[in-house]
Amino acid sequence: MATSAPESTHGQTTDHAHDDHDHKPRFFARWFMSTNHKDIGTLYLILAIFGGIVGGAFSGMMRMELAEPGIQYLDFFARLLGTENPSFVETLHLWNVLITAHGLIMVFFMVMPAIIGGFGNWFVPLMIGAPDMAFPRMNNISFWMTAAGFISLLISAFVPGGYGNGAGIGWTAYAPLSTYGSQGLSTDFAIFSLHLAGAGSIMGAINFITTILNMRAPGMTIHKMPLFVWSMLVTAFLLLLSLPVLAAAITMLITDRNFGTTFFDPAGGGDPVLFQHLFWFFGHPEVYIMILPGFGIISQVISTFSKKPVFGYLGMAYAMVAIGVVGFIVWAHHMYTTGMSVNTKMYFTAATMVIAVPTGIKIFSWIATMWGGSLEFKSPMVWAMGFIFLFTMGGVTGVVLANGGVDDIVHDTYYVVAHFHYVLSLGAVTALFCGFFYWFPKMSGKMHSEFLAHLQFWVFFVGVNTLFFPQHFLGLQGMPRRYPDYAEAYAYWNGVSSIGYSIMAISLVIWFVNIIYAYTMGKKAEGNYWGEGATTLEWTLTSPPPFHQFETLPVIEDKGHH
Amino acid sequence: MPFCIMKGGQSIIPPITESESTKTMNFRKHAMAVGRKLRALGFGLALLAGHQAALAASPAEVAPEAETAAEAASTYIRMAPTEGKGLPVDGRLGLQDQYSALGDYGYWVHNSVLMPIITAISLFVLFLLLYVVARYNRRSNPVPSRTSHNTVIEVIWTLLPVLILVGIAVPSIDLLAKQFKPAAEDTLTIKATGNQWYWTYSYPDNGEFELVSNMLNLPGYPVINNGVREVGSDASDGPGQFEVDNRLVVPAGEPIRMQITAADVIHAFAVPSLWFKLDAVPGRINEKVLTITEPGVYYGQCSELCGPKHAYMPIAIEALPREEFNAWVLSQPGGKIDGQDEPEALPAAGDTTEAAPQADEA
Amino acid sequence: MSATFIHRKNRSTGLIALAAALAMLGLGYASVPLYRLFCQVTGFNGTTQRVSVAQANSVSVASRTMSVRFDANVERGLAWKFKPLQITDTVSIGARDMAIFTAKNLSDKAITGTATFNVEPAYLAKYFNKIQCFCFTEQTLRPGQEVRMPVLYFIDPAIMDDPLADDVEQLTLSYTFHPVAGETANALDRTGSGS
Repeated sequence: MATSAPESTHGQTTDHAHDDHDHKPRFFARWFMSTNHKDIGTLYLILAIFGGIVGGAFSGMMRMELAEPGIQYLDFFARLLGTENPSFVETLHLWNVLITAHGLIMVFFMVMPAIIGGFGNWFVPLMIGAPDMAFPRMNNISFWMTAAGFISLLISAFVPGGYGNGAGIGWTAYAPLSTYGSQGLSTDFAIFSLHLAGAGSIMGAINFITTILNMRAPGMTIHKMPLFVWSMLVTAFLLLLSLPVLAAAITMLITDRNFGTTFFDPAGGGDPVLFQHLFWFFGHPEVYIMILPGFGIISQVISTFSKKPVFGYLGMAYAMVAIGVVGFIVWAHHMYTTGMSVNTKMYFTAATMVIAVPTGIKIFSWIATMWGGSLEFKSPMVWAMGFIFLFTMGGVTGVVLANGGVDDIVHDTYYVVAHFHYVLSLGAVTALFCGFFYWFPKMSGKMHSEFLAHLQFWVFFVGVNTLFFPQHFLGLQGMPRRYPDYAEAYAYWNGVSSIGYSIMAISLVIWFVNIIYAYTMGKKAEGNYWGEGATTLEWTLTSPPPFHQFETLPVIEDKGHH
Repeated sequence: MPFCIMKGGQSIIPPITESESTKTMNFRKHAMAVGRKLRALGFGLALLAGHQAALAASPAEVAPEAETAAEAASTYIRMAPTEGKGLPVDGRLGLQDQYSALGDYGYWVHNSVLMPIITAISLFVLFLLLYVVARYNRRSNPVPSRTSHNTVIEVIWTLLPVLILVGIAVPSIDLLAKQFKPAAEDTLTIKATGNQWYWTYSYPDNGEFELVSNMLNLPGYPVINNGVREVGSDASDGPGQFEVDNRLVVPAGEPIRMQITAADVIHAFAVPSLWFKLDAVPGRINEKVLTITEPGVYYGQCSELCGPKHAYMPIAIEALPREEFNAWVLSQPGGKIDGQDEPEALPAAGDTTEAAPQADEA
Repeated sequence: MSATFIHRKNRSTGLIALAAALAMLGLGYASVPLYRLFCQVTGFNGTTQRVSVAQANSVSVASRTMSVRFDANVERGLAWKFKPLQITDTVSIGARDMAIFTAKNLSDKAITGTATFNVEPAYLAKYFNKIQCFCFTEQTLRPGQEVRMPVLYFIDPAIMDDPLADDVEQLTLSYTFHPVAGETANALDRTGSGS
């Protein structure tokens, strides 16, 4: 129950757009020295699109090479990237460079910038009724550190990495392959890029936590925040607590590589497995960092297009908290084959399976939100429903992998690749497109084509399932991941998978066409173009919102739901 | 004692005369017929019988064989793999067929417990989605309800998954426990060491010989391993990218204590048809018991990223009946049958000095 | 709420969050000694226990015996031959026993190495007590020199109370010798055998 502050009334912010205050800085100052959360969000989205193009191109190269048994294209790709007359080992090394770069880019320079830096920056202040982020200048530094990290990673592809140019250590950078196993500056550049992106994300996390805790509009108690804001709060805590551990681990990698320390070198009493513990202590929360904001987006979208409040709001919020907390104590399920003892394996099996419970609560609550609703199948809703199904499929294979005894046969095979692409490529990315179509008109002021957005969904849906579903079969048949080449017996499903990639690529073309359409022919977007179901604060503003919004803070009145 | 490293394509098989080879062929045929009959009696019995036969055979038959080591050596013939056994099958949907005690159980846990449950859950969610699309779309249900709570259903969908997970956990924990069942003291021990990019195998209970196992070169490729022949140049070769020059030869039907380590970076020793995967970590050994239920050739591949030629260091295990395994061991330089006491030859005093005893700093 | 109030509140929240991040960073580094300590205390990862002679003397010998297997490895590039003199040994639980490893320098120059070790099954490593051994001590071998390296150990009688040890008949003590960093860097051939 909120009492209205005398100077503001709810919902009167809509006509702020033409205020005298709304003058924007010039181009350089606006985009390079920006302190405006919406501009920084836009910058993050542009970085993410660029990262996605590079990372996606790498995966295209990989799927091309894997379309048939044998090594066909790596030599050509190596020449393309500037290696003259590559030897066979150099071409094979390029493969490892591709898988490493694909993983790092998609995680750190595509999903995270898009979903946290992009949508988070754009909509957390709007949804909580804040004028901007708590630390606008730090926000700017966060972005540019992430961008510098991306550049450092790109540089790493063109400097020597031991067997050829580029870092071929896998995104997990396991020691000792990443220490004495790969000479050359390239690995240092790749690790340094994680330092930069990590530092940027930690600052971003501090910013989000402070913003969400302190800057909510009068009347918006923590239990009235939209679920997207909840998801960002949990994500920010995960970032804050997990990324420093990664930073410590990779700093030790750097000193092991260059300054003669032996943190992970058995020769000096170090333990390579310790690196894995540290990496996955970060790495497991990291996968929730990528998916939780997606959960938040899906909750907003489902509620909007069902024209119903979210079912079991508190359960939804605390399910995310539970996922975040439990996410910190399950890391070693990535390491079942490292020679763990039986008790350790049993503990991590049990703890991992526990995560299925809050995840199940979320899935069922989304369906319950739709139950009894008046569903309108606008493009974000279609993407959200696709998300629920695809994420469920990725989730259930996660339950299979959680079993320490069963993981022994599928660990490090394409089954794992299929699993984490179902939850990330099909889960997080679907959530990203869902959020994109939900908010793009809000951000740009232009309506996209609903037809193209629907078309893209169906092409994408068919494409990614053709791409990743057969990889379960490959994994069950034993095909190890990170292989540039395979025996004839893996040819059939690999061929199908590569066809799936091309279909998925077409869906991305449709997306780009849609963006161009929106900017050239798109209708002007109204303040609330989704209608009665869209109830959060960003819909009270114009599209695009004024450069400075909520100069008089909105007041949230208790409407009595939940 | 010779410390023998056979690297490259050096054949470990002595030339076989025709008469000897037919003799062994007949023996093999006979052994396989017996094996088939035993299998008809059921897995467990066959296992037991095989094990006992091997135990019974060792004192009576093996001893004279050891005397005439040269002749015994010729009874080993490199086995040709069976299609679809120990190998992936193109276009197949499920797991590889299993040929180990643990694998049979794991196969059941995956196919009969996990798969039905996860399929049912996925289809249930899909059904619910399709149902709400059909029932609660704007046309069918123009006025949305405002329901946002139902404690009973929330409790149900929290507790039901818990029950399902407990149901999964029971066989899963059981599988784990089986996996860690220790082997008896006299279990044959074999050590596999991962190297960039080949495996070496040593048999500490069988003498000091060591096998270096390189992938066979592939036709149409640049030379991957110098001095190694091309795959297919021998009738017993399995498919390219799986076949190696020196296979890991082991006895079938009895537990083997597999010890895995690495000499440079982390590798992983993995054989999908034997439900076996264990990381090879430099500076330490990992141990797991492997029981292969029947003779055959089983293939696997390195399963931890280890550098450019990660894809080209496969694992080929040739499981033989115990007596054939013994014959193979005797064909190795310095090979001796495990479990037979032999006085350990002390090294010559020569340059040997006692290292200064040190306090353990661990 | 005034702007300066929000400002101050933001600063303190931000600083608390920063402190949490720095604490986690510290924890990341602290994990190295903590992990080592954890391994030593619990035997996690196959870490053996270290005891003094006096402690060893106070242990009573049980009638149950256990087999111990000895395993020796060298890191690739270390031109040593390193092996246990005895493959297995049967010892009474609680009784002191000595195992001897031999190491020989196969090259024509002096090489220094250090050894790491672990015990399998790892969950029983905490019962494996070493009174003296050569691990983590730098050993320099002259060209062609061969040395005998003794390990004095006993198995803690507490193992008989551990249900996990009921079926275990054999423990393996494994050593790996590594070249000391820098010393033999040029001897390290980390390329594979082919192109």
